[in-house]
Amino acid sequence: MNRGPFIFLGMFAILAVSWTVVLYKPTQQTGRLAAVYDEAQGGVLPRGTNGAAEQGKALYQELGCIACHTQQVRVASGFDLERGWGSRQSVARDYIDQTPALVGNTRLGPDLTNVGLRRPDADWHLAHFYNPQIASKGSNMPAFPYLFETREIVGEPSARALKLPGTFAPKDGFEVVPTRKAEALAAYMTSLKVDYDLAEAPKSKDAMAEELAVALESAK
Amino acid sequence: MNLISNICSSLCSSLEGDAKNRETPRAIDESIRLPLLALIKSAAIWMLIATVFGLIASIKLHTPSFLNDCPVLTYGKVEPIFWNTLILGWLFNSGLACAVFLLGRLGGRPLGQGIFLTIAVSLWNTAVVAGVIGIMMGGQLPFKWLEFPPYIAPILFVAFLAIGVWCAMAFRDRANRSTYASQWWILAAIFSFAWIYSAAQIMLVCAPAQGAFQALVNSWYVENVFGLLIAPLTFATIYYLIPKTLGEAVVGYRYSGVAFWTWIFFASFAGVAKMAHGPIPAWVVSLGVIGSFGLLLPTTTLSIQFLSSLLSRFSKIWDTVSARYLLVGCVVFTIVMLFKIFGSLRGSLDVVQFSIFDSGVTQLALFGFAGLVFTGGAYFILPRLLNKQLPSTTLIDLQFWAQVMGLVLISIGLISGGIHQGELMNGSTTDMLVVVNTMRASFFLTSMGLSFLLVGAVAYNVTFFWMILSGRTEEETSTALIEESPELEYTAS
Repeated sequence: MNRGPFIFLGMFAILAVSWTVVLYKPTQQTGRLAAVYDEAQGGVLPRGTNGAAEQGKALYQELGCIACHTQQVRVASGFDLERGWGSRQSVARDYIDQTPALVGNTRLGPDLTNVGLRRPDADWHLAHFYNPQIASKGSNMPAFPYLFETREIVGEPSARALKLPGTFAPKDGFEVVPTRKAEALAAYMTSLKVDYDLAEAPKSKDAMAEELAVALESAK
Repeated sequence: MNLISNICSSLCSSLEGDAKNRETPRAIDESIRLPLLALIKSAAIWMLIATVFGLIASIKLHTPSFLNDCPVLTYGKVEPIFWNTLILGWLFNSGLACAVFLLGRLGGRPLGQGIFLTIAVSLWNTAVVAGVIGIMMGGQLPFKWLEFPPYIAPILFVAFLAIGVWCAMAFRDRANRSTYASQWWILAAIFSFAWIYSAAQIMLVCAPAQGAFQALVNSWYVENVFGLLIAPLTFATIYYLIPKTLGEAVVGYRYSGVAFWTWIFFASFAGVAKMAHGPIPAWVVSLGVIGSFGLLLPTTTLSIQFLSSLLSRFSKIWDTVSARYLLVGCVVFTIVMLFKIFGSLRGSLDVVQFSIFDSGVTQLALFGFAGLVFTGGAYFILPRLLNKQLPSTTLIDLQFWAQVMGLVLISIGLISGGIHQGELMNGSTTDMLVVVNTMRASFFLTSMGLSFLLVGAVAYNVTFFWMILSGRTEEETSTALIEESPELEYTAS
């Protein structure tokens, strides 16, 4: 091993194999999925998002929410279904519209794949961003007061002002109004729902085992 | 005025009575003094910055109101800044400092174009600073360890290519034609990082892979940054420092080649194991598990080589600062690899997936293995480079014990805390609020650990700048302070 070129060639070969097998092969094999059309489930799946939710997604990325929240549901391990985080396994086709995809790998808070189903109310999310202690006492999620404007009420109070309970309310004559950013983020949260089925997505551990048994049978 | 002249004498020393046998090493050190000091200085400052950000992030986990009115310091920004400054700032600079020193000494000939390297390193560090500001301004990407805004990547890459070309040239121009294990590891690190960084950037930013496969690319990159960049630079430093500080060749050196190739091969696959049960093909995850498990072979070989070399000269270890750091670093290496290997099996992932266990093992690997070994390397390099004694052993003792203490606390906090979190989160339907509240003690321990590491980082900075700014004593200017150890590397190979 006294020659540089030998080491370079060896390294090149190993990294080429690793890259080809781990990244290139799967992206070629299953990384070019298309949306499917299913009349019974209301059209093209996965469903598209709207503009406000897209803006909210950009803010989600900017604030680094991914540091604590995943967006993937597993059925083969864990208690994701029992916790009500989803009704089936997340599969690659669910993410085809997402660039960048916010899959995540750490859960210091709940999974958000279906948060729009669990919490369909945008106002709940706005109050939660303003101060998480309002709805989830004891949470260690940061508050985002800078997404809101606390201002003096001049004339009529704003219709968009947050209804804050007791100690969280601003002093008399003031109101807390969400900025467009906060509203976009709330719109993104309520848009997060996987309320459709895909043929390839197993719905439970048993369904997965059954599928495997069928596949093994046909392989014989 | 006095300080300025001291800095000048640190940068270009002219010694009166230099011993004959020190001529070649002295000429080599002379040729790379400027880039080396630039690297060690940046490393010291980045170490401080990274630890501060790590501490802020950790405190926010148990006291979420801490520094919360400031939008640039929200947890989601501080956390990626911590990892990026830790890896691309501290460990990259300090690892490269060791690599440059090793390339010079092992090559046996003074190296040219030190200015070129210094400029490339400054460009790298400027890009990292710009990346940190970019994250603060809200430009972050949602990919672990690749959070810097997309416009930073080309600058980092160009700077890295310049550094890599310089290292390859330094290797090519060596006078000693036979090579030593340290040199293979350095070449491997340089070449792999150029490859994995460009592959990840292309598949995530330029021509993004489809949806979920971005997560796959990301996990491949993350594990390779450790396995193919940071760990190789650390191995290079260990292989060099063991014979130099203990005066004895590395035990079982002839197995180094096997360890080298098996490590590179298996490490390049290991990362994707963590995607278990995710939205990607299951066979890729299986490959990752095989890769991870394969790492047992090189891990065993390297651990036996390092630990038996160190333990056979145990009495000598406490005499030398560098050897002390080496010993702890090597012990941590073995522990970390066991956690990594057995933690990536599907059965373990059923428990610890998505918990802070992974963050704990990674922090232990980066602070405890790479960080400590590179610090040992810097304490070996600095006296030789500056021809000055280490200014205060008390300060160095303080740093060492603060770092060891910090590592113990972080490991308990994050690793055992992560296992506990995983049991509750993946093994029951306990409410997430309850899970988070049972974690408070673990987060608190981690903050205490990071506070100890911060004490260590401050002590290191004080030592470094004290050395640079102090004048030479009578003894230091007139005689050769350093007694060169025999070149055991070559007799062993």
